[in-house]
Amino acid sequence: MAAGGASDYTTALRPSGERRIKLNVGGKIFETTASTLRVGGPDSLLSALSARSGTVEEDSYEPIFIDRDPDMFSVLLSLLRSGSLPSSGFRRFSKQDLSDEALYYGIESCIRSALSPPPLLGIDSTLVSTLVPAADAVSTAFHAGSDDGSLWIAHGGQISAYDWNLTHSGTVRTHLDDITSLRRVWPETAAIGSLETPGLHYYNVSSGRHVGSINWMDSSDHRVYKARVTAIAAIESGFDGGSGPIFAAFECPHRENCILMIDRSTLQIVSEIGRQPGSSTKTAAPGKLVDLPDVGGGVLFVSAVSSGAFGYSGYMRLWDPRTGTAVWETNEPGGGTRSDRFGDSFADVDADGKEMAIYKVCWKSGDLAIADMRKLGEDPWMYLEERSASLRSSGGGQNSIVHCYKGQVFLSREGGLEVWSTAEEEDDQGVKKKIFRRNLVDRPGDARRGMIRGLEAGGDRLFVSRVGLEGIEVWESSELSGGIPLL
Amino acid sequence: MPPFAGAAGLAATTPAAAIVTLNVGGRIFQTTPQTLAAAGPSSLLSSLPPFIDRDPDLFAAILALLRTGRLPSSSFSGEASVDISDLFAEAEFYGLDPRLLLPSFSSSSFSPLSLRRSLLLPLPGRDPVSVLSAAPSGELIAAHGSKITSFDFTLRNRRTTLTSLPAVDSVLSLPYSHLAAAGAADFPGLQLLDLSSRSLRKTLHWRPHPSAPGATVQAIAAAADRQILFSSYETGRRNASAILAFDLAPNGEFRPVSEIARREIYGAELDSAIPATKLRWVPYLNILMAAGSHWGPSGVLGEIRLWDIRSGGDPAWELKEKTDCFADVTVSDELSAVFKVGVNSGDVFMADLRKLNAAEPWVGLGGWRWNGENLGNKEGKGCKIECEGRHVFCSRGGEVELWSEVTMAAAAAAEEKVMRRNVMGRAKDVGGARILQMVFGGKRMAVARSEVSGVEVWESSDRG
Repeated sequence: MAAGGASDYTTALRPSGERRIKLNVGGKIFETTASTLRVGGPDSLLSALSARSGTVEEDSYEPIFIDRDPDMFSVLLSLLRSGSLPSSGFRRFSKQDLSDEALYYGIESCIRSALSPPPLLGIDSTLVSTLVPAADAVSTAFHAGSDDGSLWIAHGGQISAYDWNLTHSGTVRTHLDDITSLRRVWPETAAIGSLETPGLHYYNVSSGRHVGSINWMDSSDHRVYKARVTAIAAIESGFDGGSGPIFAAFECPHRENCILMIDRSTLQIVSEIGRQPGSSTKTAAPGKLVDLPDVGGGVLFVSAVSSGAFGYSGYMRLWDPRTGTAVWETNEPGGGTRSDRFGDSFADVDADGKEMAIYKVCWKSGDLAIADMRKLGEDPWMYLEERSASLRSSGGGQNSIVHCYKGQVFLSREGGLEVWSTAEEEDDQGVKKKIFRRNLVDRPGDARRGMIRGLEAGGDRLFVSRVGLEGIEVWESSELSGGIPLL
Repeated sequence: MPPFAGAAGLAATTPAAAIVTLNVGGRIFQTTPQTLAAAGPSSLLSSLPPFIDRDPDLFAAILALLRTGRLPSSSFSGEASVDISDLFAEAEFYGLDPRLLLPSFSSSSFSPLSLRRSLLLPLPGRDPVSVLSAAPSGELIAAHGSKITSFDFTLRNRRTTLTSLPAVDSVLSLPYSHLAAAGAADFPGLQLLDLSSRSLRKTLHWRPHPSAPGATVQAIAAAADRQILFSSYETGRRNASAILAFDLAPNGEFRPVSEIARREIYGAELDSAIPATKLRWVPYLNILMAAGSHWGPSGVLGEIRLWDIRSGGDPAWELKEKTDCFADVTVSDELSAVFKVGVNSGDVFMADLRKLNAAEPWVGLGGWRWNGENLGNKEGKGCKIECEGRHVFCSRGGEVELWSEVTMAAAAAAEEKVMRRNVMGRAKDVGGARILQMVFGGKRMAVARSEVSGVEVWESSDRG
């Protein structure tokens, strides 16, 4: 509430030298200043109106007429004046109404920042909605927009797009029947793959058209054909300034696999890395690719996990895509894992380029371990231990999914959702350090909706998909207390 | 102090020249400088330019508040209705204390008999509430698991901070700051957390001797008038305890000021070092009350000590509790008495601070039911007792009873106080999970209940 107060004084109470403007919106008169109308940016309709000549003091002054709803304009004018939307606006109009109206006045950027959720804090997040596509609604893959909180859901052979305000903006039917990988490679273009149908395919989600396809071929080896996509990595173009490459892992029917590096602008193959026979779990096709452009000049994190009657096994590797060599690798069980942890291999793993950390969850103990990418070696793992006795036992890590976002690690346990976040602590010398704490995010009833099978955060929203659940759950943090009246 | 006193009366006799005409967002308002001055000298309203680029509906409500001292109910209905949370933000913009918008703040005194259960504030995550603290200005903080959630005085906004403590067992919102002091019964150190930046400011440790490990925190209290923070510590091996006073002054850097009530156990005398698990500050008398009890094979033993912190050294008064020891105890400066609820009888007792040296200082206020012969049933187990103003609140399971003083016309000064019992709430409000704590601030009562992941708020209302 207090934020921006100081600048508000200056804009609202500027001495009479500020040019005042009268607007007649749908028959209701509003009086404001030219500088308030310019808050929405130079290209907005309101900025253009503020440039009209004349001032209220002149006798011949005629208010500028705008043929729109005056009540909605009043809400948007409050937004321009104070920087935040009045809560009476939410009561009277839906978010969709307000953002549509803001689009008309050209002040979409203002309404975006006012309607965006506050920073995602795992210890304080609740389920706010479930996005359910109209048909065939069990999600098979999804992609969270990295910055703006938008979401693309693949469900069966369809892709449904939801914009920054989580408004449904369209659904596309693709030629695939079961999309299992989905990434946004351009603001309007999706790269998709399926474990049932060969090839990596591009679709323009707004026009619904197929843009192109890529297949893994080898003219010298005719066994390489009908390769299916197991994982895609693509940092969103336009957000991280990335025009970096797209990576896609392909696997042939005879299990031989590789990773193809694809140029984002031409959508053509640049090179092939990490080709391996796929005959054992140590050479299986990757199930997860994470592009880490900030780490060591750009590396690709790759992992594969398989599970059977005797537990989990898998590998993780860091590739340098420029040279096509693996710079670090570990296998579990085995590798450099300490003997007391042998047999407790990872069930899932995620890498965070900004924090320079890899997080893994162990399938047997359920423990979360962290490795510092600057100090990777034989056994880089540090196993996190919860200090609170009631939360120390985690109950195993089978089917767990780990996802890191802004220094927090989200972890699913069957249907349950937990988060590891850092708290400050001071040692005897007064030196502060951060320690990881475990907290349960959900209420007991939330876990009963089904086992979590997808977990991804973006734009301060956490998206969760569950086995058998139609649609995607959206979790957000809130600064409102949400008090329940008891009177 | 109501700032609008007399503003309405003046308006009728003001000459036309003294009328202020304002244009707020295109709507013309006319008022007097006296009405605008009611907002206070630091407010923007006392020096307004003729045109203000703000919402006219919100200004109309604020002007109505300045004219009459209360918000008209028409502000919240009809075509030009406003939301109270928008008014808070707008009041802040005009430099007006937003607390004036709450009807309970403008009424002059705290009236516990009109409190009713009004709001449940849910806490994020799954941990149930463990402990609460309320500031006099109405802010509320609640600890749940390893987290602390703070609510602003409107109880509309919240903010959650993660601590490194295993579980927060005691918490205190420090006066005039965004700081909270938090401690755990099983982890050393008192942590001072900045809740606005979600960071740790400092950890305050106590060690009986330099090589010993840090001690855990059993209770916290603050003397706002003297800028002192008190913390009761007990070592991990439970063989030593002490109460430390820290400097809360802005440049004091939380330096330890003094150490009182240091006890160490030698041999098997377990009762000799019961740590204080409750601290209460009595501002008018400059006295700190420290109380602790111990459940042993021979029953419950406890002690209540009153310290005059200026003299240091020995307690000013000390009471060993052997029969019907307190389940909980508190002190009231307005009533100048110590109140306890007996663990065996469940009765509420009062000890006048001026007659503490009597052979039996405790005077029974009458039981919740008279079962003197049933002594030993631990009727008072889990009961909590707190004072606010001239009222004593005692929880019994899920219920709160309020003991209020009745002033009798013919009472001689030496006679006993007449205290009468009321059960709070209407039929639908009575009961619920066991009460862990009651705190008071901003003319509200907040209640923590066992295994509930939320905070219950009782407010007085001028409606129905």
